[in-house]
Amino acid sequence: MPEIIKKLPLEIKKNKLKTGVAVLLSAYWGVIIAGTLISF
Amino acid sequence: MEVFLPIAQVFINPIEILLLSAIVGVLSGLFGVGGGFLMTPFLIFMGVPPAYAVANEANNILATSVSGSTTHWLKNTLDYKMGFMIVIGGSIGTALGIYTFTYFKGIGKIDTVISLAYMYILAIIGTLMLVESLGEIDKAKKNVIERKKLHVHYWIHGLPFRMRFPKSKLYESVFTPIMIGLVVGFIAAIMGIGGAFILVPAMIYIIKMPTKLVPGTSLFVTIFVSVIVTFLHSINFGSIDLMLVVMLVVGSIVGVQVGQKLGEQIDSSGLKALLALLLLIVGIIIAYDTFFVEEIQKETIKSLNQDLNFFSKFIKEFSKDMPFFYGLFSILFAVSLGIAAAFIRRFISNFRKKYFNKTLKQTK
Repeated sequence: MPEIIKKLPLEIKKNKLKTGVAVLLSAYWGVIIAGTLISF
Repeated sequence: MEVFLPIAQVFINPIEILLLSAIVGVLSGLFGVGGGFLMTPFLIFMGVPPAYAVANEANNILATSVSGSTTHWLKNTLDYKMGFMIVIGGSIGTALGIYTFTYFKGIGKIDTVISLAYMYILAIIGTLMLVESLGEIDKAKKNVIERKKLHVHYWIHGLPFRMRFPKSKLYESVFTPIMIGLVVGFIAAIMGIGGAFILVPAMIYIIKMPTKLVPGTSLFVTIFVSVIVTFLHSINFGSIDLMLVVMLVVGSIVGVQVGQKLGEQIDSSGLKALLALLLLIVGIIIAYDTFFVEEIQKETIKSLNQDLNFFSKFIKEFSKDMPFFYGLFSILFAVSLGIAAAFIRRFISNFRKKYFNKTLKQTK
């Protein structure tokens, strides 16, 4: 586990596109799940 | 120029509807996905109430799937036995879906349920497509050749009542296609989609059908599911508007043919990421509409029969007085348009082959 955390900044730098997509998709899912919970 | 839809009770621009359905048809033909999960939200954005958008898009899907299925029938790339098994499950699923639809309509929540269902389906498909296409781009960059397992067995393959499917060369439990049909029918009834995005992967990865039989069989199943959805929506809610259906069918049939031709000429795998983004954008617009836009009480248009032209008046009265026959007529109408489109396509294709062969011989 600590090994993964140590390598995380390096992996993020290496895969900028993948990181960007992962962040955007998380935000997207966050908005729709939060919206659903609020609207009910 | 705006046209009043006598049953949906809204004004729409026919050119916009024709263009949009043609664009969705092109995407559908290019990527091999059904256009229902894009066209229904677009109809909703254009002001068509969700319950009407769902029902009319189901009727449009019927026409396009009849057109596609006739082409596969002429090529003999259909597994009827497997198709009928999925249809059995699909019929039960559709009936359950209509029951659920009626319940939510009764408590006045159907529009929210449809919007939420679309939002999540588009988010799921968009996310999966985006991840898959990024993976493909990554592999292409690194020149990685992936070795896939020949057979993966899931719990579903251990189910009883096995049956032979000679065309697909399979020995499978009848419960597998029935369960898949059940899910597809349920979703189709609530969302007005054909369900190819579930059917196609399920046929390939779960049933393990030969890939060449998958598109034709999927379209064959979609015909029956959309017939039941159209009929039940028509007799229960009187929501099929033939004027809207004509525009949708004409646009999408032309669009699908263009999309299929484009797909033969260009590599669409790189465009998959763009389609995924489009789905996610449509999903976020629906989310914005559902969560953040204040509910505006739309003024209901109480149109008197005297205001309508002869055709609109006829449709409205036919739907109101004879919902059973109106439902049957809507189905027959879509089926005839679909068959006519398939034969026109075959005629044009044969004509082009003859013409090109002649010109080739003459040049030699």
